[in-house]
Amino acid sequence: MSRANHPMRRFGPVLWHTTLTLVAVAMVFPVLWALLTSFKPANDIYSVTPFSAEPTLDNYVRVLADWPVLTLLGNTFVMAAGVAVGQILIAVLGAYALVHFSQRARGPILVLVTISLAIPPQALIIPQFLMTARLGWLNTDAGLIVPQLGTCALAVLLLVQHVEAMPRSLTNAARLDGARPFEVLWHIVLPALRPAISAVAILVFITTWNEYLWPLLVAPKPEDTTVQIGLTQFQTAEGNDFGGLLAAATLTSIPIVVVYLFASRRITDAFLQSGIK
Amino acid sequence: MTLLTGPSRGVRQGAPRRVSSALRPWLYLSPLLLALGVWIYGPALFTLGLSVLDWNLTTPPTGFVGADNFARLFRSADFWQALGQTLLYAVALLPFSTVVPLLLAIMLWQRPGRASTVYRSLLFLPVMMAPVAVAVSWKFMLNPLLGLANEVVGWFGIPPVNWLGDPSTALLVIVAVTAAKVTAFNMLLYSAALSGLDRRTIEAARLEGASSWEITRFVVAPQLVGTTVLLGTLSLVLAGQWVFTNVTVLTQGGPDGVTDNIYYRIYTLGFEFFETGTASAAAVIVLLVFAVAGIGWRLVRRSHVPR
Repeated sequence: MSRANHPMRRFGPVLWHTTLTLVAVAMVFPVLWALLTSFKPANDIYSVTPFSAEPTLDNYVRVLADWPVLTLLGNTFVMAAGVAVGQILIAVLGAYALVHFSQRARGPILVLVTISLAIPPQALIIPQFLMTARLGWLNTDAGLIVPQLGTCALAVLLLVQHVEAMPRSLTNAARLDGARPFEVLWHIVLPALRPAISAVAILVFITTWNEYLWPLLVAPKPEDTTVQIGLTQFQTAEGNDFGGLLAAATLTSIPIVVVYLFASRRITDAFLQSGIK
Repeated sequence: MTLLTGPSRGVRQGAPRRVSSALRPWLYLSPLLLALGVWIYGPALFTLGLSVLDWNLTTPPTGFVGADNFARLFRSADFWQALGQTLLYAVALLPFSTVVPLLLAIMLWQRPGRASTVYRSLLFLPVMMAPVAVAVSWKFMLNPLLGLANEVVGWFGIPPVNWLGDPSTALLVIVAVTAAKVTAFNMLLYSAALSGLDRRTIEAARLEGASSWEITRFVVAPQLVGTTVLLGTLSLVLAGQWVFTNVTVLTQGGPDGVTDNIYYRIYTLGFEFFETGTASAAAVIVLLVFAVAGIGWRLVRRSHVPR
């Protein structure tokens, strides 16, 4: 359908752009303002003008000296990457099996997966915490990663949709040639799934990077925790140093925003082409 | 058995199999079932068990106490207040999980093209932004003495507001901060639903001379009922959960408990007061409400969504 005769067109282009730009700016404003403020000197920090007359890196210098940012970024990276890899493994194997050889178990298992997507984490944190503590995993990478593999529902559902959308003729042809199921997965399904897998992996990586509740419970030690928890601890300790705090906030969120902006098309497409209704 | 067009399980010959075909699906599914069983469904049952034991995290459990934990929970005024505030959050966030994202998704869908792709990516950004960084930035902007928010309301002659300390504004702030994220995520889910619409029926309606309002009302809207019922139900049950990080960083449930809710209460009961039994009782109530909402959603969906 050409753009000119789209049947639903009601907004003029000016109104359309204005509305969407305003909403977008309002939505990213807090992070934008944190970024701008982090370059302001202490005596100018509350000023309303977005750009300081004397921009400075003092806030960053102070944060990097007083706060183990690099350690925390490292911890957070290990957690997010571990959860992303683990969930993708679970989801690829599960999605392949559900679509290609367990027609009867498929319905009930997808119901279990869907329900798990919506169970609020707070209803489960007490037993999850006790189990993690009993395993001796408090303040460890294992404690940060393994329990979060349980929240793989979104990855599974998105990948099931994408495996489902692959033409059956591809996999059937390989099978007729005598390929074993794992060879079909490895040589046919995986290469075709690569865009979907990378989108879902980035999505899981970012949501895990931003996870707050679980690291708060199992890794409260300042040197073993993640950037999100470190930021709240920094806020408690240096509550009035907003320059440092906002520089720290920028350091913890800008890497993710950059990753997202590069991969955003892939991530939104993973939803748009998933056939979710 | 049709080899070329049938489902793949129809193909049975070929290379010798090492794993028997009855067992193979379960081999591939075992990581998924293990992850869900050990870390989701196991803990859900475990919570049920903990809710009838007398136990705090610091000492071993002393015994079975039946409904005592529930009784203690029901006697506490804080619990009822938290439950009431949970409901308030649900009502306040409902428009931001349905109407607002739907309008944005429809706007983006009306003008497909590069601009709308860019806007969609930008509007989804709040889901990706680190929640603690966002909350910290709000705390800075809402500073009661010098913050940007009071500077701006000052331009309109409004005296400074203690945004997070005043019970009449604290809840509104938490809702506003959370609303951006909820709107962003549901906008994408509505966009997914819209991209799956049958464009031919829309085109046909247009050729029949239907106005764009009529098309929205009679062709598009009915196809979005399922999505809306789902997002509305999720919002009612989970609104209190979505605000969790913002409550922890900005208000810790205060002032006077107005920003508290049942999810935050489970956390404080369990991990600040170490009342494992009472916290588990509250968690069980959440799971029950959740089950009822799930059944309700199935019923509404069955009666309203054409198959």
